[in-house]
Amino acid sequence: MAVSQNRSCIAPTRRVNDDGLPVLRVEGLCKAYGANVALAGVDLDVAAGEIVGLLGPNGAGKTTLVSIVAGLRGADGGRVRIGGIDALAHPHRVRSLLGLAPQETGIYPTLTCRQNLRFFGELTGLRKRELDTAVESVAEALQLTELLERRAQHLSGGERRRLHTALALVHRPALVMLDEPTTGADVRTRTQLLELVTNLAGGGSAVVYSTHYLNEIDQLGASVLIIDQGHAIARGTVPELVAAHAANVVEMTFAGPAPAVEVDALADRVERDGPVLRVHTRRPGAATAAIIEALGPQASGLRTLEVLHPSLEAVFLELTGRRYEPAVEEELGDVR
Amino acid sequence: MSGKRVMAIIRHELRLVGRDPFPVVVLVLFPVLAMLFLKPAFKLALVADGYRSANGSEQVVPGQAVLNAFFIVSMTSFAFFSEYGWNTWERLRASAASSTEIIIGKALPRLAMSLTGFVVIFAIGIPLLDLRSRGPLVAAVPLVVALAICLVMLGVVVTALSRTVQQANAFAMVGLVLFGSIGGALVPINVLPAWARAVAPVTPTYWAMRGFRSVILDGTDVSGVLLPVAVLLGMSALFAAVSVAKFRFDDTKTSWA
Repeated sequence: MAVSQNRSCIAPTRRVNDDGLPVLRVEGLCKAYGANVALAGVDLDVAAGEIVGLLGPNGAGKTTLVSIVAGLRGADGGRVRIGGIDALAHPHRVRSLLGLAPQETGIYPTLTCRQNLRFFGELTGLRKRELDTAVESVAEALQLTELLERRAQHLSGGERRRLHTALALVHRPALVMLDEPTTGADVRTRTQLLELVTNLAGGGSAVVYSTHYLNEIDQLGASVLIIDQGHAIARGTVPELVAAHAANVVEMTFAGPAPAVEVDALADRVERDGPVLRVHTRRPGAATAAIIEALGPQASGLRTLEVLHPSLEAVFLELTGRRYEPAVEEELGDVR
Repeated sequence: MSGKRVMAIIRHELRLVGRDPFPVVVLVLFPVLAMLFLKPAFKLALVADGYRSANGSEQVVPGQAVLNAFFIVSMTSFAFFSEYGWNTWERLRASAASSTEIIIGKALPRLAMSLTGFVVIFAIGIPLLDLRSRGPLVAAVPLVVALAICLVMLGVVVTALSRTVQQANAFAMVGLVLFGSIGGALVPINVLPAWARAVAPVTPTYWAMRGFRSVILDGTDVSGVLLPVAVLLGMSALFAAVSVAKFRFDDTKTSWA
């Protein structure tokens, strides 16, 4: 379900190329930290008005990708162009086109919300009335208007998160990069942020939205780049990916090694991985009944049973052979 | 480099300092108190050094001003480490401000604070401790400016070489006490052992105190501070070079978290 659009629009003041090129073009981006490969030749195009969800478990390489595009880290190879400008060679030329909200909430706690917003607006060259208007506008969009004179240290967690996001948007950038913006946010803040992202795209910004929450991609109606262990493993809209890669999967976990079962008539594919049995099928109900019947006495060893319907989670499973476990993936360290 | 962006950062830094002025006020008031009880010791040392009419203020006032100025090393470093603590460093780096603009924008307010500290301490010390300079005190202005530049640059170096705020604090505090002692700001240099006097010229405090003694006790004009100013500016250039070589903006540093 896509998020509704009922807030004022923050349209980018710095529109880039009108020549049909994407706002962001990433080609063959590579990065390694020692022996650990964080990005292995990732490609990505994001057009004006498009939301692209960067999806992957923790440690997949999402933050590395965002950091390189934002000019915070160098790349080992590949190209990044923002508004047609080579961002790796000329990072400072693209900074005013870019608004980044890093993963960790970053605000000046002893300053008021207005002072926080004005500072980052001033850094991008906004002055006087233009700056005042930009601050008021972004505050309204993020429901911070009533809090503008409050010191950031006195805000609630959700309000801080909204201010943190607003700092990236005050100069109305053409490319917005939000790195896991809803991490740690309450339900209300999460809903507000998702609405904001939808509005940003509606206003013409290109949005890169990094997350490990699959449902947020559905809610945003975003297209997706799935990254796993530094590799871009799929790119497209959710319906495209589901149609191309996902089927119903009946997943059973046993007390011991998964037994072999014969359900060929109903199964497109059967996998056994230790205690886990996965049956890819177009008829999950019938397949489940057939599997349990085929198990006979071995059914007593069955511990869990789950049916995964065609979804991004099923796409991830199909492409990687692993269930999507956002929080337990091995991390390459804090740099990712 | 954009002057407007540098000014924006300077205003921002002053706003941050203004939100918590207590440390700055304490750091200015503390030397004033210290001057009162250290004055007699410096009088003895100066008389023993041949300045028979000295009352001690000739050394204790500039000495405490120099020591106070040294706190700017940790303040400069803290200006960077605060950004790590608030998680604002990355977003500052991702802003339109360049690395140079960020460093200048953070350094200049500390330079101004250091110079203000000198003015305040001398403004209080002169009447309070009956400081009578034999030379024109205005001749020490280039010296004060050179010392402030040197110490702010040292603060940037300390930041560049430290991975944690505790390391930076340790560098700054050890520097304060060691350089203050050996350089003659904390204790009279003529009471130090010969080996300490021999290594004193490697410290900025030594050159600052030498310049002050030249003007206040020996009555020279600006010519008496030219060598100390040149040495302090040379040290500043060295610290700037080390900063350029060692300051990694993408370093992961640990603040108080």
